[in-house]
Amino acid sequence: MKNVLVTGIMQGLGLQITKTLLEKGNTVYGVALENNAELKKLKRQYKEKLVVILADLADIEKSCETIFGKTIGYDIPLHGFVNNAAIAYDDIISNLQYDPLLRMFQVNVFSPMLLTRHVIRNMLLHGVQGSIVHISSVSVHTGYKGLAMYASTKGALEAFSRTAAREWGERGIRSNCIVAGFMETGMSSTLSPTQKDRIYKRTSLKKPTELTSVANMAEFLISDQSSSVTGSNVFVDSGTI
Amino acid sequence: MTGKLLEIINTVRNNKGLPPVAELMEAQDLRAELGFDSLDLAELTVRIEKETGIDIFADSFVLTVGEILAKLGKQ
Repeated sequence: MKNVLVTGIMQGLGLQITKTLLEKGNTVYGVALENNAELKKLKRQYKEKLVVILADLADIEKSCETIFGKTIGYDIPLHGFVNNAAIAYDDIISNLQYDPLLRMFQVNVFSPMLLTRHVIRNMLLHGVQGSIVHISSVSVHTGYKGLAMYASTKGALEAFSRTAAREWGERGIRSNCIVAGFMETGMSSTLSPTQKDRIYKRTSLKKPTELTSVANMAEFLISDQSSSVTGSNVFVDSGTI
Repeated sequence: MTGKLLEIINTVRNNKGLPPVAELMEAQDLRAELGFDSLDLAELTVRIEKETGIDIFADSFVLTVGEILAKLGKQ
């Protein structure tokens, strides 16, 4: 089975993606800020199939060294990368501050770009026709008050992913984005029930996007089942229209 | 190092269906004479980095075999 690097595995979607990949027999190299009880429990269950890497993606150079220099090295081939880690800095544009904006771009955009560099180099070294999956957001495609800055980080990823697909397709390396709808995770915990309800009413299914649905799509895109899918944005968003 | 570099260059050539070259010369152009495109040069870079720890493209482009050897300090 495959070796898959996943970022942001402590909770929410990243944790669900990790569980789904492990259930399918993959080995997960998971990046987390800390080794919490959930991860310790998973580690007991899956043992050497789960490698937890403690790193803060806001510190790009140090985290790249921890992930690739110290843990994965040159001998472990990577077959997949799920770029899931992200932070949300939400506010209306007239309140925009540079420091939190910069930090969000470091975690959501710059760090994934540098990690992708290392992942592609690893795949080249091992002759692997791998798959890269970025978790984007429906906020890129449908405006939401207060999400201009966050949506712009995800829009950058979508552009990056499409070009990566074009650039590396001839080597068999695929890159896709999952455009996720609003989920019941820590990321949306600052929204009031009324705000959430308004968002969910904009969807066809009138309900939040399920974590398992997004995680299953990530597993599909990493797997060989999706061998002809690249350069795509796959919407898993309860049908936001 | 030249022997090791020859081995690496022939690995990359083999991966793109090209026959091996018998020897390397410093003036050899990586693109025009060895047939590498930018993606092949990326593969060459990581294979050299694995053996030497040196990223030959880290601070500038390299065009010839001699320039790689210079980066590796073994010219």
